[in-house]
Amino acid sequence: MTNFALQVNGITKRYGSGTTEVAAISDISLTVAQGEIVLIMGPSGSGKTTLLLMVGALLKPTEGSIWLDGLDLTSLNERALPDIRLRQLGFIFQDFKLLSALTVLDNVAIVAELAGMTTKAARRKAADLLTELGLGERLTFLPEKLSGGEKQRVAVARALINEPRIILADEPTANLDSKIGLQIMRLLRHIAKEQGRSLIIVSHDQRIKDIADRVLWLEDGRFKDMVTMVTDPVCGMALERDKATSAVWDGQAFYFCSEGCRHEFLDNPARFQTHQDVISSPSAIHQEHSLD
Amino acid sequence: MSIKQSLGYRNLIQEKTRFALSMSGITLAVMLILLLNSLLAGLYEQFGSYLRHTPGSVVVSQAGINNFIGATSTLSSSTVDAISETEGVSSAIPILSQFIILELHDKKQPAYLIGYDPSIGGGPWQLAAGREALTGNEVVFDRTLANRHQIKVNDTFNILGQQFTVVGLSDETASWMTSYVFMPKSTMESLLGLTGDSSFVLVTAKAGVTPQKLIENLNAVFGTQATPEDTVIANDLNLFARFFSAPLQLMVGIAFLIGTLIVGLIIYTATAEHQQEYGVLKAVGTHNALLYKTVAIQSLIVASLGSLAGVALTFGVARLIMSIRPQFLIRIEPTPMVEAMLAGMVMALLGAFFSIRMVTRLAPAEVFRK
Repeated sequence: MTNFALQVNGITKRYGSGTTEVAAISDISLTVAQGEIVLIMGPSGSGKTTLLLMVGALLKPTEGSIWLDGLDLTSLNERALPDIRLRQLGFIFQDFKLLSALTVLDNVAIVAELAGMTTKAARRKAADLLTELGLGERLTFLPEKLSGGEKQRVAVARALINEPRIILADEPTANLDSKIGLQIMRLLRHIAKEQGRSLIIVSHDQRIKDIADRVLWLEDGRFKDMVTMVTDPVCGMALERDKATSAVWDGQAFYFCSEGCRHEFLDNPARFQTHQDVISSPSAIHQEHSLD
Repeated sequence: MSIKQSLGYRNLIQEKTRFALSMSGITLAVMLILLLNSLLAGLYEQFGSYLRHTPGSVVVSQAGINNFIGATSTLSSSTVDAISETEGVSSAIPILSQFIILELHDKKQPAYLIGYDPSIGGGPWQLAAGREALTGNEVVFDRTLANRHQIKVNDTFNILGQQFTVVGLSDETASWMTSYVFMPKSTMESLLGLTGDSSFVLVTAKAGVTPQKLIENLNAVFGTQATPEDTVIANDLNLFARFFSAPLQLMVGIAFLIGTLIVGLIIYTATAEHQQEYGVLKAVGTHNALLYKTVAIQSLIVASLGSLAGVALTFGVARLIMSIRPQFLIRIEPTPMVEAMLAGMVMALLGAFFSIRMVTRLAPAEVFRK
């Protein structure tokens, strides 16, 4: 159980009862490894947000269990959940949702303070984190004075301040232009890979596929298909493995965005990383998804 | 102060106009509450003013009468003599009293006429101008009433068909209901067609005689009733002040309600505007208790500042009212002041109630859906 950051076992969420009963999520299982980035996509009303809420300990499933760091969230009472959310989960919201009356520094520090840190220590830690994220010059600004990208970086800092194992992001690039959106995606990937935090992203934004290790398609409350992402060893682009062109070298399969990259690789494979970054273990995880 | 503790304050001052409006609501409500209560306290003081300032600890009246203001009591001269000679009596001051309606500059003006013997006492205790009324058709007029009607010493005017000359102006004898007018008792007897009769006798006990013993002795005089001065004042207050107390207290209640509604509405609006942010705080793991505190702190800051400003404003408004209408005595005392401030705090807490309920019912999951 503890090999995974998160394990979701056959959860279902039903609303209403009798003839008016609606299943928003039906028998979904999912395992997220440490440092893995999982992107959940799907049409509106498919149950993405409901799933995110349940994983975020904000909504109890009707059936099934959710294990976070060896703890069954579904067995805990309501009073215990805020502390779990505070210390083990980080949230990034679609429209940033910063506290308008607090400065950038205090927007981040308050979350550390809530977790029991002294104000001084919380501010110091928040300042370090914000500086790392390139907001060192904005610490005393109110959110209204920031650009969209800056606001989202503050939101990222807020999600990170208590060093959670899992970060849940709801449409993190929805209100950002493409350039800033790309910056935020890179930042999220960096956090996941460098800090070993798992990231579950719910989004309609196709660009996020580039940073995801796995893309799950949710429709009518069920996962319909799964995409395994790989990185082109030549240009570094993230690719859907099944759609990429491939080559085998030294007994290992490599995937490329184009024939050009493939040829470049085959001309001198030793120039490139000889172990392609195939993040997930597709077969193991694939078995755990409830596929139609 | 920690960030989480300062959140309420920062939310509050973020929107300065709203903050000023909510504070003004409390300020005005507290001012109104304190002003009305102080007006009532002033009224109470005016009602007991005559008896408190004249000699005597026991008021003797006709049997069955235990009020002073407005009460009709008649004591014959022989009864007054008997009272004077009662054991334990040090001094006995007979006075006549009568409500009258004066006509001053074509306006009806109620007044309370006191007939007293200048050689014994019972007349004005503080003169602002002139001298006491000693003989004939001389009167001492309340200074406030005189000022309102431009009456000066040596002016003449008509009382019950007779001409009187103002020889003095008295202080501390004003009332917004009835001001005092003093004249010699003998003059008042002839004015009212009485001969030697008195309305009340103000009795002082000899040294060593307890008030209880004195009252026992005085009650032995046929046809009289002896009542401690404090009881008579209390009876007058019960009888008259209650008439004013009820509407004034009703106004105090309305002021409290309006203050509560203003604060409640403004804090509720502020909370509703920050609803998403409270939802975020809940989502990231904040317990409800901290959010209640945040809302309550906003209310209490508004209440504290508003109450202090309300008390300060009351002093200013009271001074203004008394300078424009000196017949209104506004007595701001510490207890009503504290009560008004507490009322401000209660207003704030009641005002915060619905906002706290809103925060309680807020589902953190909704943050993701909006």
